[in-house]
Amino acid sequence: MRSSRFNRRSILRGVLGGATVGMGLPLLDLFLDGNGAALASGAPLPTRFASFFWGLGLTPTRWEPKKVGFDYDIPPQLAFLEGGLNKKTSVFTGFTVGLDGRPSHPHWTGMAAIMTGQCPVKDKSFDRLNSFDTVISDAVGGGTRFRSIEATPFRGATSSYSSRGEDAFKMADDSPLALYTRLFGQGFHDPNSGDWAPDPRVLVKKSVLSTVKEQRDVLWQQTGASDRARLEQYYTSVRELEQKLDAELRQPAPAQACRVPEAPVDLPRKGDVPTVAYNNKHMCELIAMALACNQTNVVNYVFTPATSEMYRPGDTPVYHAHTHEEPIDGKLGYQPISSELADISVGGFGHFLKTLDNIKEGDGTLLDHALVLGYSDTGWAKIHSIDNIPMLLVGGANGRHKGGQHIKVGADPVTRVSLTAQQLAGVPVGSFGTGSMATSKPITEVMA
Amino acid sequence: MSMRALALCGVFAVAPLALAGCASDTSLQANASAAKPGEVVGMRRLTAAQYRQSVADIFGADIKVQGRFEPEVRREGLLAVGAAGAAVSAAGMEQYYAMAASIAEQATAEGRRAKLMPCQPASAKAADDVCATQTLQKYGRLLYRRPLLPNELAARVKLAHAVSTQSGDFYAGLREGFTSLLTAPDFLFRIERAGSGRPVDGAMPVDAYARASRLSYMLWNTTPDDQLLRAAETGDLLTPAGLQAQIDRLTASPRLEEGVEAFFDDMLQLELFDHQSKDPAHFPKYSQVVATQAREQTLRTVVDLLVRRNGDYRDIFTSRDTFMTRGLAMVYKVPYASKADWAPYTFPAGSGRSGLLTQISFLSLFSHPARSSPTKRGVALNEIFLCEVTPAPPGDVDFSQVNGDAATVKKTVRLRLEAHATDETCASCHSMVDPPGLALERFDSLGEYREFENGERIDVKAEMDGQIFEGAAGLGMLLHENPRAPACLVRNLFASGAGRPAVGPDKPTAQALAKTFTEGGYRLPAFLKQLAANPALYTARLAPAPALPGATTKVAARSPSSLKETGR
Repeated sequence: MRSSRFNRRSILRGVLGGATVGMGLPLLDLFLDGNGAALASGAPLPTRFASFFWGLGLTPTRWEPKKVGFDYDIPPQLAFLEGGLNKKTSVFTGFTVGLDGRPSHPHWTGMAAIMTGQCPVKDKSFDRLNSFDTVISDAVGGGTRFRSIEATPFRGATSSYSSRGEDAFKMADDSPLALYTRLFGQGFHDPNSGDWAPDPRVLVKKSVLSTVKEQRDVLWQQTGASDRARLEQYYTSVRELEQKLDAELRQPAPAQACRVPEAPVDLPRKGDVPTVAYNNKHMCELIAMALACNQTNVVNYVFTPATSEMYRPGDTPVYHAHTHEEPIDGKLGYQPISSELADISVGGFGHFLKTLDNIKEGDGTLLDHALVLGYSDTGWAKIHSIDNIPMLLVGGANGRHKGGQHIKVGADPVTRVSLTAQQLAGVPVGSFGTGSMATSKPITEVMA
Repeated sequence: MSMRALALCGVFAVAPLALAGCASDTSLQANASAAKPGEVVGMRRLTAAQYRQSVADIFGADIKVQGRFEPEVRREGLLAVGAAGAAVSAAGMEQYYAMAASIAEQATAEGRRAKLMPCQPASAKAADDVCATQTLQKYGRLLYRRPLLPNELAARVKLAHAVSTQSGDFYAGLREGFTSLLTAPDFLFRIERAGSGRPVDGAMPVDAYARASRLSYMLWNTTPDDQLLRAAETGDLLTPAGLQAQIDRLTASPRLEEGVEAFFDDMLQLELFDHQSKDPAHFPKYSQVVATQAREQTLRTVVDLLVRRNGDYRDIFTSRDTFMTRGLAMVYKVPYASKADWAPYTFPAGSGRSGLLTQISFLSLFSHPARSSPTKRGVALNEIFLCEVTPAPPGDVDFSQVNGDAATVKKTVRLRLEAHATDETCASCHSMVDPPGLALERFDSLGEYREFENGERIDVKAEMDGQIFEGAAGLGMLLHENPRAPACLVRNLFASGAGRPAVGPDKPTAQALAKTFTEGGYRLPAFLKQLAANPALYTARLAPAPALPGATTKVAARSPSSLKETGR
């Protein structure tokens, strides 16, 4: 324990200038307005955004609805939509990636095109572009402890697919316990508890960061153009940490749906299906509560990396190897093991959605106040196809998203879905993408 | 002299010794087109190993560094090159801050103060600016790898004063001063500045402090010690004799082994052990302990052969000498008679083991979780030991012809891979990468020896560079005689030290160094001394300025308040 003579009284007197801090506040619906769609203060419930990626696409013939428009049929691989989620989901088929003469990097280009609007020249790179979730984060991520949270239930996949440029990908928590500690460990305060007081250590941390920032201008002047972007990214990260501290110094507003979760137990690091499913279950719960408890408004989740090495216990090849090596079953017309693993992957997405939808918040559920993009890297992994990559938008987006539709197009760029996601999440964005993927046409059919 | 250069030289001059290399007007103008002295010409994020070792050397080996480091980026085959383009994300900053606070807490703990403090505060219960200045100046110099600028020091002293006063604890203030230094970009990145010397082959020379850092991290993988920093401060390090004296000192130290270990840990991609997963259903002998020992086994083997015994580098492909633990012996299926944790061991002739390529590290890291992969091993071998990068597979490949249907599945990997020959596009690369991998097929995904796969005897004959060979021993001999292997090592050593690949204008330097290595009989310690004395190692090439980063999103309207909100 650090020794310190700070106490709440001295903080309130000396630092907060005597500002009064309310204690013992009542909870729940009292703080929502009569319609349940806004906080009693008049501020609307925030729109949360999540990107959910799973590797290796889905099985052609098993995931595309046959009927276009409303009341589409639910294909076998989207079985998790049964029971009402289909009404909150837009399924997009027929979209494609325009290479514009650039190489198609297997298991990378498709995902990068969706997230940045451009096919990168280099593999494992975004050509220094931001991913669009950061634009959403800039628009809706303020006021929470974390501008965004990145996580993966696949241990070892610690690089997310979210980047603020410079090909630096945000670090993802890959263990449930690490994610819990980050979200609900030191610095977290239950918004519904009545004994809030600012932690004096937070003020000291802010002072430390201030000294770090003092040198910024001098260093900036001395730094050449080639390194400035990275320097700026460093200071952006400092600012995000400051934002976290600022949030910790504010008394959190009560959050109706927030229930502080228990700390999960980590399993030994393995990439088999049961371990990934265990991690996914706990991480989905943690993330749902992170959203409900207003710790963040933006999440980037990687169920498995693009070249998924998830495996069935005792099976020799991993998922990725199966997609390339497994023969197509003559009777079924598809690769049965690969398809089973695709079911499991997209089933993980289904679990994420159901976890959000099971949390009541205001006039609906947490999912009704969120927008979730589910997407992958390939259309048909067996041949590295980047046509018809599965993309789904789920959630009400606070009434902006008109779900329950199957949108089928003839080779429109995937960026139309990315642009639509940004607009539904509340970003005042007009266009997205470059070259043949530049678009200013969102999919208006799904916009209320 | 420009105002900026004057300012830089001026502020450094208040440090105990004047900044080396403050230049005259003439030299500044000579380099004006590239970078002015004092300008930042490189930012290399500390690797996890460098961070840990630097902290251990500055504050004590018993300081625990707890936390997660940002994922490291491998570029041009090396994390050391990737570090020159690595950034710090928000989650990474949280971790760095937490680690800094924990280190500072431990460093200022009561039991350590006698060793830590260069002075005694007037009172342990109050601020003492004089003692705080002295302490922060001493450790700031080691952490920043240069003297602190007056305003950098003043900011920390002010912070320490405020915290000490408010808390009534001198050491609480000092602790926060340390936390601030440990969180600063000047510690997390090796910030390299241009010096004032003449360009070398068109590259800008770095200043004396960057020179000290390159030398120290290359040879010891840690922050420059007091002697090295003093040589930088006096300018001695910029003279051939002064540089040579430091090279002699550093290479004569047993700590050279740490530098060599760190380099090979990077080159051999051993950090992959951090995320390795093996299916226990197939490999019950595999555990985290075995993984950790396998990594150490390889590093012990390399250091013993190349440093302690001053052996021929090429013997890493053929030597059967290594070190063993009880756990590793189970995987290798060899007896372990020693009572010690580690014991030297030599595989018998005819065991099939030959050099690093037949150790668990290489064999298991470049395999699938439950199955060997000649292609993965071949790609890794070409990249790591021959500096030859295999192009990514084409985007649209139909594997149907390769795999056939369920009734005609090929029993061995060789049979499946040979089917690639039916596709010209695939064959062009697979013919290069598969043969060495196929020669190693008698070792499974963990590195255990086997002779059969699915009931079929494994054929380990292969052909590479027009030569037919058999098995791991044949492959080892072939690589031993391949001149591209030592040339590749030299390229990697240069790249690791300079922080940039030895390509383009640096290629002639690498070629000349490779010749030196060959003439010296492929002995690493002697070559490291020659490399460290080469002026090209202490230069920087400015990368072209990148296009402004940003998403391809065009925001229709953004209010000033939203800009303020994002803080961008």
